[in-house]
Amino acid sequence: MHEDFHQLERRRIRDILLVSSLFDFYLFEEEGLLYEQIQSEYHGFQLSHTPELTRISSGAEALELLDRGERFDLIITTLHIDDMTPPRLAREIRAKNRKIPIVLLAYDKRELSDLITHHGVADFDGVFIWQGDFRLLIAIIKNLEDELNVADDTSRFGVQVILVNEDSVRYASFFLPLLYSEVMSHSQSLMSEGLNPAHRALRMRARPKILLSSTWEKAMGYLEQYEHSVIGVITDAGFTRGGVHDSRAGIAFTRQVKQRFWDIPILVQSTNPTLVGEAQAAGAMFLAKGSPTFRDDVGSFLRDYFGFGDFVFRARDGTEVGRAKDLKSLEEQLRVVPDESLLHHGSRNDFSNWFKARTEFQLAERLRPRKVSDYDSVAELREDIIRQLREHRSLRQRGMLTVFSSTTFDPASSFARTGGGSVGGKARGLAFLNTLLSMENLRTRFDGLDIEVPAGLVIGTDVFDQFLRDNDLRSFALSASTDEEIMHRFIAAERFPQETVDRLRELRELIREPLAVRSSSLLEDTQFHPFAGIYQTYMIPNSSLEELLTAIKRVYASTFYRAARDYIKVTSLRVEDEKMAVIVQRMVGAPRGQRFYPEISGVARSYNFYPAGPQKPEDGIAAVALGLGKTIVEGGATVRFCPKYPDHMQQFLRDTQRTFYALEMGRIGPIGRIGPMSPIGPISIEDERIVPFDLKTAEDDNTLHWVASTYSAENDALYDGISRAGTRVVTFAPILRHRLIPLAEALDELCRIGTHGIGTPVEIEFAVDLSGESKRLGLLQMRPLVLSREMDELNLSDIPAERLICQSDQVLGHGVIRDLRDIVVVGVDTFQRSRSHDAAREVAKLNSRLLDERRGYLLIGPGRWGSLDPLLGIPVKWDQICGARTIVEAGFRDLSIDPSQGSHFFQNLTAFQIGYFSVSPRVRNSFVDWDWLAAQRAIHETQLVRHIRLEEGVTVKMNGRERRGVILKANDER
Amino acid sequence: MGFDVEEKVSPFVEDFMAEVQARNPAEPEFHQAVFEVAQSVGIVLERHPEYRAARILERMVEAERVIMFRVPWLDDRGEIHVNRGFRIEMNSALGPYKGGLRFHPSVNLGILKFLAFEQVFKNSLTTLPMGGGKGGSDFDPKGKSNNEIMRFCQAFMAELFRHIGADTDVPAGDIGVGGREIGFLFGMYKKLRNEFTGVLTGKGLNWGGSLIRPEATGYGAVYFASEMLATRGKSLDGKTCLVSGSGNVAQYTVEKILDLGGKVVTLSDSTGFVYDDSGIDREKLTWLMELKNVRRGRIAEYAEQFKEATYTSLEDGADHNPLWDIKADCAFPSATQNEINAKDAANLLRNGVYVVAEGSNMPTTPAGVSRFVDAGILYGPGKAANAGGVATSGLEMSQNSMRMTWSREEVDEKLHGIMHRIHQTCVETADRFGTPGNYVNGANIGGFLKVADAMMDQGVV
Repeated sequence: MHEDFHQLERRRIRDILLVSSLFDFYLFEEEGLLYEQIQSEYHGFQLSHTPELTRISSGAEALELLDRGERFDLIITTLHIDDMTPPRLAREIRAKNRKIPIVLLAYDKRELSDLITHHGVADFDGVFIWQGDFRLLIAIIKNLEDELNVADDTSRFGVQVILVNEDSVRYASFFLPLLYSEVMSHSQSLMSEGLNPAHRALRMRARPKILLSSTWEKAMGYLEQYEHSVIGVITDAGFTRGGVHDSRAGIAFTRQVKQRFWDIPILVQSTNPTLVGEAQAAGAMFLAKGSPTFRDDVGSFLRDYFGFGDFVFRARDGTEVGRAKDLKSLEEQLRVVPDESLLHHGSRNDFSNWFKARTEFQLAERLRPRKVSDYDSVAELREDIIRQLREHRSLRQRGMLTVFSSTTFDPASSFARTGGGSVGGKARGLAFLNTLLSMENLRTRFDGLDIEVPAGLVIGTDVFDQFLRDNDLRSFALSASTDEEIMHRFIAAERFPQETVDRLRELRELIREPLAVRSSSLLEDTQFHPFAGIYQTYMIPNSSLEELLTAIKRVYASTFYRAARDYIKVTSLRVEDEKMAVIVQRMVGAPRGQRFYPEISGVARSYNFYPAGPQKPEDGIAAVALGLGKTIVEGGATVRFCPKYPDHMQQFLRDTQRTFYALEMGRIGPIGRIGPMSPIGPISIEDERIVPFDLKTAEDDNTLHWVASTYSAENDALYDGISRAGTRVVTFAPILRHRLIPLAEALDELCRIGTHGIGTPVEIEFAVDLSGESKRLGLLQMRPLVLSREMDELNLSDIPAERLICQSDQVLGHGVIRDLRDIVVVGVDTFQRSRSHDAAREVAKLNSRLLDERRGYLLIGPGRWGSLDPLLGIPVKWDQICGARTIVEAGFRDLSIDPSQGSHFFQNLTAFQIGYFSVSPRVRNSFVDWDWLAAQRAIHETQLVRHIRLEEGVTVKMNGRERRGVILKANDER
Repeated sequence: MGFDVEEKVSPFVEDFMAEVQARNPAEPEFHQAVFEVAQSVGIVLERHPEYRAARILERMVEAERVIMFRVPWLDDRGEIHVNRGFRIEMNSALGPYKGGLRFHPSVNLGILKFLAFEQVFKNSLTTLPMGGGKGGSDFDPKGKSNNEIMRFCQAFMAELFRHIGADTDVPAGDIGVGGREIGFLFGMYKKLRNEFTGVLTGKGLNWGGSLIRPEATGYGAVYFASEMLATRGKSLDGKTCLVSGSGNVAQYTVEKILDLGGKVVTLSDSTGFVYDDSGIDREKLTWLMELKNVRRGRIAEYAEQFKEATYTSLEDGADHNPLWDIKADCAFPSATQNEINAKDAANLLRNGVYVVAEGSNMPTTPAGVSRFVDAGILYGPGKAANAGGVATSGLEMSQNSMRMTWSREEVDEKLHGIMHRIHQTCVETADRFGTPGNYVNGANIGGFLKVADAMMDQGVV
């Protein structure tokens, strides 16, 4: 028997080469949980021979490794690798060694379809989309192994086969891991049914193979070959047959199978529920894709028709002597397992392999070179492994999200979690940053400026779910008509999960400074949907537990606000899928009288859309302001500088910061009441404790000298610092020019490391506290900065001006947007600056209407869209114009205003691939044909805003590389 | 490059312009400036053929000396850049060449010649001993570091120093050249020449600069208005004044009006204006200066602070500015270009305003100017009324030459004297050429005549 089952699954994927950016890789390890999951799900049945994973960042390294003769069984490449497109890498690998399977793992369907359109994926053995489920990796490996072993294992050992037909990459990526995990967990449950160990092992390895086909031809081939081994079929109702999509191929396939073996269970799945009759008539069961009970249904289907289970310590004869499901239990087991077993595994390098598969490379590398013979005794071996393991575990916890415990939480630097579920995008970004800080040794690298992720606690999404459930809020929230209504009900909700309340009480014992309560939603900050600024953040003085709970409830409530719902509407996501984790974090800053604020808040981007002078786009750009970051988030007056050239400042007086935001400590915020429902005083959606102050206050607070210069009218000169009398101007010269702290250097390095880590440009939010002896740069958020891929060229010259509505040489976006029939125009001549708030309201109303009608539109108006200052443009929030497909910022006739680059605004523009045109006398070759616009019939018109609907839509063409774009008056099919 | 001459011009001006265009190709701004001067002094040349015989105008349009030089400099990364430096020494009939340096990418020979040509007459009108010139470079200070700015200024001065001097040519600041740049330029000049002289104006107060610079334009405009009133035997005492703007010029205009007993009822910024029927007194002015210079707030806050005032926000598309539609005696446009159009001018006249002194540059559109001139009110055009700014440059030179620093009062007193003389020149010249009370003609011709006469006196040089 033993002999036999060692022959099973002979061909394995042992060495995997993963070509990916560090962040892509980090996503596999999301929140550190990958690790435990792999243990229970992969190793549970795999026993030994765990695959080794080699990760590198660039195609060149990959090719070099192959050239050196390194052997790999599988190459997985993500979309973001440093130096070449994945298809090119695949082509080059093919040119070297045609046999290695290469799998492309994408994160985003849009990015992927871009790639398929422009490059083709013919060289890949499989294409999958990562949807955050780490099991996809296992599924890919297992699926390849199954393909390799199926012929042998079926013919020699009678192993059974499940045929899966699915031609959608996205769905296959979702379904395959689900199926593998079901198959494996069922295998495990069978295992525990008292069979002897040998049987268990056999069961595990002899689980059914899963064969995936995306075409009829392949599926039929498998059926022909393994017809006697098929125990079940799961098929999409429609898939590719004869090169075209056949919406009933699955039904036909069912008939084919049933003709041969009437008793083979078949499951037909489809997004088209009307096919249920046909499927059942053919003898199959039917399951609607996207059904809320889908998972359970698949599970019960499998349970009824298939059946089948950590590091297993074995004696030399194969008897199990211990079992570990995670590093912690491994440590426990290592203390008790017999010497014999320890030697057995030690001599086979099982520990090191096991660690490798868990991506614990450092530990694996440390253990690997040591041979059992290097130790004097087994006891020494045992002690060394345990010690290494323990050191590693504590190292791993640094920079990772550990589970909160009041005894180990360091209020200076810990970042921990409590409650189950996801921690959301923002927390994940922060945890990754925290890891990077440790890995790159950044915390103390810069003299005079320590870098940190402020201590915080993340409350997982399960707490959100429980809160909604316990207080019966979900259906109310989805149907409530106003934000205020939602907020009041949420604040008044009395049942807050007790365990979380206990943890928060403990946290408050440890952190007595003011707290920032931030949203970290499931959908927020996924790579292509930044959700920037959609959910609320609240700052609290941290005066009571009730105050903290109320702030958390308010963040929860914001999940369902109009702005969030409108935003989600334009994504492919659903509000129902959204869940909210919350970060409770020590605020960066210091108290000054009744105010609490940091000297500096800012945002740094590793990619600059508008480089000037010697700067290159890759040199990045930062914007900083005095006080809390509200100034920056809302597009107020900031100082911009390139971290590579901090000295390149403009001398300016106009449009510099005049007020700053601080948390007002004395003010009592709204607090939810424990006890009978009682009315809550008037409170707004916004954080009412964040209050503006003037620069004089900062001067009195002794914070202004860090960031200000002084204008002397007498001398017509701007002097750095505030030693002279005159007008104070926030220029940041003391820091940028005189380098009082190495802010620019630190930001430059953070941008570099972040970009390298994530594999795309990044945006980092930060705050700096200069009050103490040691100055601290606190990192508040890091997210990928979305840039459109600019692969093909669009020729925009030679279009006569009379055919154009608009042209600009300062354009963001790339590609062609056709058939926009709706134009919302705020006319440059009719617009009155004093009424820009009215204009914003009217535009929002139109946006809402067009959104409901699902009509994308072209938005044209003067000044900065989304400006905080109503004099500089129309002060819309993002969700008030989120339905626009292209936005034109036209200059005022009399004022010259820099184009908006509010941080959130641009995130959103690029995320939704919205075209952006800047038109002003300062922009080369730019114009708007106002006369033409005025001549078009409006279906809705007010004094300020016109809504034009055209018979024939307009076409927007943008060349992202040259930053040029045109908008044609008619659809253009050239 | 055609030059559009649509207005009726004398055959002399026509021939003259043809010659100017042929000799200075591709310099449209210069052509325009010359044409305007030629037009406005046509009457002089008609009546006084001696100027024509001496070919005064022909000599005026040819710069005495044009210096163009290479300015190589190293940026922070050690890369070499080459810019072009200029100094146009246009006319020294009345004194050392005097005029600003401009650092801006748009700088070229034609533009500087145009600016230098206008400067000659502006300086002449101040009655101070200043010739005319202009200089600069196509260097773009935008986005440059402090050190790069300094290195550029030093490289620029490394050549310019041999052409300038306290008694030869005294540059000042202009666009792109403020206190910081003057400091760097001066430092380099001092090092190269080993002398501390008043070779540049616009210097820091603590090292040779003059007091009253921010105040000069506003004070000057009020002095000019007061001189104009005196021609009718009146004074500012008790007069109701409209002031637009709220920057330096407006603030010091208000201050001087208060000194002279007038009452100011309006102030404005780009958002709107306030009307304070009870008058903006010293206390309110102090509050406003704090608002604008320290807090840099909006003028609307004035009406929140002082309940007796009302705030009117500016209608963007409106065809007139309601600020100019208020009953008053005097108007001091001190905000921006073209803030008074024909309709505003009509409104002012209808409301009884009979004194307009322009503190800002070209605040009145040509159509508006015609209304004022036709109505025969006391209209002091900017080139005369706001000459106080230029005059203080002259006063800085004087103080440097004397190795003296005058007190605030002394400078103010000198300024008053200069404005008095400018006014006198305008009045006398207007009288002489048959348009009494026409300050526009007076200023145009007065400036020209002083230069022309000095050139005649100094022979063919």
